[in-house]
Amino acid sequence: MGTSMLERELKRGSTQLLILALLEERERHGYELARLIDEGSRGVISLHAASLYPTLYRMEHSQLIEGRWVEKAGQRRRRYYRITRAGRAMLASQRNVWDTFFHALNRLARITTA
Amino acid sequence: MDWTARLRDALNAPRRPIEDDVIEELAQHARALYEQARADGCAHEEADARVVREIDRWRAESSSLRHRSRHAQPPPPASTSSGISGLWQDARYAWRLVRRQPGFAAVVILTMALGIGATTSLFTVTNAVLMRPLPWPGEDRLVVLKETRGGRTPRFGSLSNAAYLAWTDRPATIDALGAWTIQNVTLSGAGDPERLRVVAVTASMFRVLDIKPSLGALFGDKDEGTSVVVLSEGLWRQRFGGDPNVVGRIARFDGEPRTIVGVVPDESGYPDRQSRAWIPYRVPLPNGNYLAMFEAVARLKPGVTTDQAAAEAAARGRFAVNTGMTTLAIFGGDGPIEVVVRPLRDAITGDVRRPLIVLLGAVVLLLLIAITNVASLQLARATTRRRELAIRAALGASGARTVRQLLIESLLLGAAGGAAGFAIAVLVQRGAGAVLPADFPRIHELGIDGRVGLFAAAISIAASAIVGVLPAISVRRVNLVASLAEDGTSPVGLGGRASIARSRLMIIGGQVAIACVLLVGASLLGRTFIALLHADRGYDPALVLSTPISMPAPGYSPERRIAVLSDIVARLAATPGVRHVGIASEQPWTPGGSTSSLTLPSPDGGAPVAVQASPRLVSTDYFAALGLRVMIGRYFDDRDNETSQPVVVVNDTFARRYLRDKPLEAVIPLAVLGRAQGTAAVVGVVEDVRYIGATATTLPEIYFSFRQVKVGLRSTTGTLLVRGDDRPERLANVVRSAVRQADDTLVPGTIMTVQDRLLLTTLARPRLYAVLLGSFAVAALIVTGVGLFGVLSYTVAQRTRELGVRAALGARRSDIVVLVLRQGMTIIALGVGVGLVASLWLTRFMTTLLYGVTARDGITYAATVAVLFLVAAVACVVPARRAARLDPLRALRS
Repeated sequence: MGTSMLERELKRGSTQLLILALLEERERHGYELARLIDEGSRGVISLHAASLYPTLYRMEHSQLIEGRWVEKAGQRRRRYYRITRAGRAMLASQRNVWDTFFHALNRLARITTA
Repeated sequence: MDWTARLRDALNAPRRPIEDDVIEELAQHARALYEQARADGCAHEEADARVVREIDRWRAESSSLRHRSRHAQPPPPASTSSGISGLWQDARYAWRLVRRQPGFAAVVILTMALGIGATTSLFTVTNAVLMRPLPWPGEDRLVVLKETRGGRTPRFGSLSNAAYLAWTDRPATIDALGAWTIQNVTLSGAGDPERLRVVAVTASMFRVLDIKPSLGALFGDKDEGTSVVVLSEGLWRQRFGGDPNVVGRIARFDGEPRTIVGVVPDESGYPDRQSRAWIPYRVPLPNGNYLAMFEAVARLKPGVTTDQAAAEAAARGRFAVNTGMTTLAIFGGDGPIEVVVRPLRDAITGDVRRPLIVLLGAVVLLLLIAITNVASLQLARATTRRRELAIRAALGASGARTVRQLLIESLLLGAAGGAAGFAIAVLVQRGAGAVLPADFPRIHELGIDGRVGLFAAAISIAASAIVGVLPAISVRRVNLVASLAEDGTSPVGLGGRASIARSRLMIIGGQVAIACVLLVGASLLGRTFIALLHADRGYDPALVLSTPISMPAPGYSPERRIAVLSDIVARLAATPGVRHVGIASEQPWTPGGSTSSLTLPSPDGGAPVAVQASPRLVSTDYFAALGLRVMIGRYFDDRDNETSQPVVVVNDTFARRYLRDKPLEAVIPLAVLGRAQGTAAVVGVVEDVRYIGATATTLPEIYFSFRQVKVGLRSTTGTLLVRGDDRPERLANVVRSAVRQADDTLVPGTIMTVQDRLLLTTLARPRLYAVLLGSFAVAALIVTGVGLFGVLSYTVAQRTRELGVRAALGARRSDIVVLVLRQGMTIIALGVGVGLVASLWLTRFMTTLLYGVTARDGITYAATVAVLFLVAAVACVVPARRAARLDPLRALRS
């Protein structure tokens, strides 16, 4: 596998992991997701909304999450995303993978996860 | 602020609008961002600038923001493509992998090419010999006939004129019946004289076989007995330059002028392509003491079975002329005519069917070894690719998708290997004619056809599938966590590496079993060949040169033939380096020739005994030249000259069958040779000349001396035997010039030792089978040995740390060596065990091919086991030494 291919897939994988993890708690809209990722990773993982929305659309397409418009009284309607059953399964598996991956990285390169 | 309008302005490209839905969501985001900035205390301008920066980034990504999918679709694999484009992507990816590891690809392609090439080559032969229809139309209705009398088969020929003529008058079960015999003649007139094999055929043969001339005509019933000839296309081109006006020209066969009437395509020539011309044969009428024997072919009427035809032949045979003593002489028994009817295809290919099937089976086993070897390499590679595959799986690639990827990779390699293998098969097919024995059936029909192509494609795909599926199974079983967790230094026995090493060892075990089967088969065939080669034939074929010398009528009378041969003998006997020179009326190593019947007084004083024996005229020194051992009495010598009382020597079979315990008191009537009166005393008994080994029974033979029996040489061909001091081949030129000096119009046939003659004839097939199976076995042994070496080296490398720990904890070098050897030897022992059981079962199919050794020969099995363990030991030594030399400190630090 080419390095660039690996990088791309890793990056995509990590973004997906974060989004799934955030949606696991409750449904959220795009801006909220962007803010939480920015805060939660203390800027280490810089995820711009630019790449957030394409990722969301792709994940929606893959039926990992589903989005719907919600209108609350006195507010404009907003698009909320929530995690699907397939998304939860994927999250569980990816958590496992990444746990192990970081564990392995740690042992190999003495890199500690934050 | 209308963010929606601003975003639409910023993002929408002409003709490629972004969905309103998306614009609305992004507008919301922008609004929230603006409001947050204002809440953080920013001025309007600054908050606006933040949003603009964000919008700029969206614009950069606008292509992936265009729309969201509203239709639910099944989840795609991690890689976004599927279907045909996915296949194409997989193929491109596989191609990149191949290019990145050209060495690996070359080994895989070469291994598969050799396996597929060998298998396809043998299939080409099997296809041509056993599967393709014979070249004559309606060949499934063609049958050959073999006459029996009282259950006994004739000692030469197949059908008698008595049986033949009884069946020709309006037969009920057959359309037509034809007779033929082979003749060797000298063609002269156009260019140098040349020895040719021609076939004397009844005109009906052309109807039986439905042969159409490519030029001119064939001869008909009224031409039987006339001097005409039909040429094969090959002979027509070679000797007559493909002259379109050849019809009507004259060709001289044994000096007799024959008018050429037509040309027959090479492929429809009967009985095979070695036959160069056809001359008419008229089946003679039988009388009381004359029986003509020949080969016979018939065409069954549609729907008639061979049994029905045989019944008709037997029924009609009851009305055949009684040929009394002659029948006894030829069949060794008397009784009503019975005819065995056998499909022509069976008769032509029956002898080679079993060996070809055995060899095809063997080469498929070899292919299996080659394929599993490649699979083993793929497995080794899968170890390093596990993480790649695991990451793909973690990112959502389905198992099916991963398997597809691996299959496409192996298909790519398999296609290349198959193409190269097919090319090898084409080359082999071109050279096969020179390697196969000249009498191998249908050897000229070898060719690559659609069926061969399909076969090559099928085994290539099957091989690719096996090669691809094995690693794929191991990948499907991949435990993502364990694969990703492996850090490359964990000891074998914990992670998936161990299971792959185990799979590879299992493969080696299977290969050992296959190699064992091939080795046992090859040893049995090899020992058969050696047994046939060294079989006691009653004479010594190694140091004696032989050549047939043809002296056709009418240029040579029987007396002149003897005179010429005696002259050649005298010249050669005076040549230094020549020990013994002999001449004979028959080739000593074949059962051919004439046979006679006579009556002898019973040795017990009872009723006279009816005797059938083959009279053979020989020169005084014949026995010494052939190395034929005398058992009782003596050979001919100088006492037995023109004026002395005639004497004869008989062979062991004759003496045992007819003379019992007092052979030297017997007298043989000379009527046997056509001399009306007189008798000859038996002065010696010599060993039987065994023709093929012990597989053919020897017939009673009586040897007469040329000097005493003045009937001349009635057969047109005499045989010259020259025993030299050491290297008989050197004498070939001496023989040639002696023949030429005696008579400069004579063309000696091929001059070679009797040993070589046997190798070219009766021993050719056993040798071919042994050599082929032997080379398969050797290839299997090498591949298996190299495979074992590879796997053991691999596991030693994988276990470096573990072995280092053991060494550090005080394990001696010998302990480490034993550790490695045990791993190798255990799998060999398992493989050998399975292989021996399989061999015991499979070699049952070879029993008809064996001579001088049984299919359960203990020595063969023991030797096979020894060879396998020896190869295994050699393969284990290097990895074991490497393990033993490990420096514990370095091993632990690595």
